[in-house]
Amino acid sequence: MSDIERGAGSMQGMWSALDKMPAPATTYERIVYRNPSEHHYMKVCLEFQDHGVGLNVAQFKQLLISALKDLFGEVAAALPLDVLTYEEKTLSAILRISSSGLVKLWSSLTLLGSYKGKKCAFRVIQVSPFLLALSGNSRELVLD
Amino acid sequence: MVRFKHRYLLCEVVSDDPRCRLSLEDRALGGLIRDTIARVHGTFGAASCSIGFAVRYLNAYTGIVLLRCRKEFYQLVCSALPFITYLENKGHRYPCFLNTLHVGGTIRTCQKFLIRYNRRQLLILLQNCTDEGEREAIQKSVTKSCLLEERSDEEELSDSGGEEAAEAME
Repeated sequence: MSDIERGAGSMQGMWSALDKMPAPATTYERIVYRNPSEHHYMKVCLEFQDHGVGLNVAQFKQLLISALKDLFGEVAAALPLDVLTYEEKTLSAILRISSSGLVKLWSSLTLLGSYKGKKCAFRVIQVSPFLLALSGNSRELVLD
Repeated sequence: MVRFKHRYLLCEVVSDDPRCRLSLEDRALGGLIRDTIARVHGTFGAASCSIGFAVRYLNAYTGIVLLRCRKEFYQLVCSALPFITYLENKGHRYPCFLNTLHVGGTIRTCQKFLIRYNRRQLLILLQNCTDEGEREAIQKSVTKSCLLEERSDEEELSDSGGEEAAEAME
């Protein structure tokens, strides 16, 4: 969704109303992108202090929703959040959240401290408004 | 210039039960609203809204409540009010809801609105009235408020204070 505005006609109209003198035509073109993407995609990894803790995907989503509910309440717990992929071995996942809720999700992941009494932390590896960007990460790039 | 700006929410407690309004208390209501904000908007909402929050005016007979909150977070408070479904007093639960009548920047604007609103409500009550004794009582208060309105308009024109307007706010 983009708007392209041209200001030539309106500028001339304004000037001629005020000064009654022909003003030089100023043309400008402004392109405004309101919403490049409705969703934001996050690649996150959950780290526990002691190893040997496993979560299945339902428990993982429950953890996310409870983190949101603690910090931002019922309204944020109802945000459209999706777990697109989940790997149980490495506890890493790709999440999708609507763009207006990105700040709420990220801050509640930051402030999440424990799961069932065990200390844990969320590591946010990559955030992008486009899912394709998550397929390659220049930080993990290995140059031969 | 540099001051804390507030928003004043004028609300009406609507309930089927006539005992619900009589059991209104400012501290109990304030606690209930804070709990509701904590439930709906979480820790962030509870912390941001409770700093400037206060119940400024409460009328148990008409069920009018005036809440104050900071201007930056008044929308959190406003959006949490529909989630209040009951009032609790001494173990009794009365189902009710809060109807937001007006949002103002100062107490004075809310007071002006409340005076006009009460006058309109008196006329509506007069129409729906069934009992003759009640009808006379309401008619008397309507004429009294009209006289006060004319006097307060004249006084506003002659640049003096609105003390009569404050008396009319019953």
